[in-house]
Amino acid sequence: MVSTAPETTHALCRADAIGEGQARGFPRTPGARQKVIVLRKGGRLHGWLDSCPHYAGGTPMAWKTDRYLNGEGTHLACHSHGAQFDMETGDCVVGPCLGQRLTRVRLETGADGMVRLAED
Amino acid sequence: MNIIGPDYLVFGVDDLASSAEYLTDFGLTPVDVDATGGLFEALDGTGIIIRAKSDPSLPDPLPTATMLRQQVYGVVAPEDIDAIAAELGKDRRVTRLADGSIETTDVHGFALKFQVTRRRPLSMPAEKINAPGAPAQRAPNELGVFPGKPAQPRTLSHHVLFVPDQDAARDFYCDRLGFVVTDVLKPAGPFLRPRANDDHHTLFFITTPEYMKGLEHLAFHMGGPTELMLAGTRLVNKGYQSFWGPGRHKFGSNWFWYFNSPLGTHFEYDADMDKHDDSWVAREAMLTPKASQVFLFEAQRRWMPGPDPKGIVEDEGTPEW
Repeated sequence: MVSTAPETTHALCRADAIGEGQARGFPRTPGARQKVIVLRKGGRLHGWLDSCPHYAGGTPMAWKTDRYLNGEGTHLACHSHGAQFDMETGDCVVGPCLGQRLTRVRLETGADGMVRLAED
Repeated sequence: MNIIGPDYLVFGVDDLASSAEYLTDFGLTPVDVDATGGLFEALDGTGIIIRAKSDPSLPDPLPTATMLRQQVYGVVAPEDIDAIAAELGKDRRVTRLADGSIETTDVHGFALKFQVTRRRPLSMPAEKINAPGAPAQRAPNELGVFPGKPAQPRTLSHHVLFVPDQDAARDFYCDRLGFVVTDVLKPAGPFLRPRANDDHHTLFFITTPEYMKGLEHLAFHMGGPTELMLAGTRLVNKGYQSFWGPGRHKFGSNWFWYFNSPLGTHFEYDADMDKHDDSWVAREAMLTPKASQVFLFEAQRRWMPGPDPKGIVEDEGTPEW
């Protein structure tokens, strides 16, 4: 989707910085602790709040900077208790938050090639 | 049954390289580690063993997300292993290995092993502090902090299991293996210490649904709160994800700092835990944030007030300490 957001708004990253099967985390707003996970799966970019639904309020999921995937690279993982999530639907498939899902963050890629949060 | 506590926790992981990187940066020392994994030990020889999750030498996995595959308990003497084998052999399969250790499972199906402990006696001072009114613990000109100050895990302290039935878990460990309940956080579960260890707890249970059964966290004792915060700060500076802390718990009085890990569980640094004997009467409290901790802090990027009009001078580059 081509962005309708002004190019002056906070850009998360360059779209081409996220390769197929890769996931990285970026501050949701400049300087924020809360991060948005941007990943590419099946050629499409997906955005997810870096917030495991196991605990109310959510907790950060990486074990180290940008290390969001399980060892095989097949699922997003919460490295608190090993929960795994479908990269495209956000559904928890195993772990403490079984039956819950990640919170999707809608993304837009601008004409400048930058990924931003979609304007509602 | 003189059980001392966990000698090793054994994991079947989906990423050996990342796990090895993590354990090393956490401060554990690789011992006989090769492409199939191995032991990463604390200063006393206790530690974490990792193997590939498909490694046939591992006990079967639980049908949950946990990567924990076996809890290896150290006991004082061979007679303790005989006593445990006799007791647990009444109602479950107990396998004797060539080295005299035994393998079995607990009431929830967690794989257990009991061995004459491999831990090495530690002889090193606690973190030393100076306080008015008390004899100085550090000699004149002996510094409290200095570049390269060691902050390595000393020993495997405790671990916490998610269990569906806390009463069954308590009864198994207390009635069959001689553990003692030191305190209870309701409705989560009890803190337990084994007979041959005076630490407030080496084991704690949190009641969860069956599909969560597994390892909530494990912890290593540090030499004191400064070591704990120094080791945690070094992890943060390398990009590791803090989960909870630093802070200080109420039950056990131990300082804590928890981190995410690629082993599907939290790793905790702890320090300065209470000691107990059999005269101790277990307390009960409802599990609330207030009951859980005296205080809680969160690491932030280092700054200082100064001559800069912004009032902040941020660190640049890799911290040297």
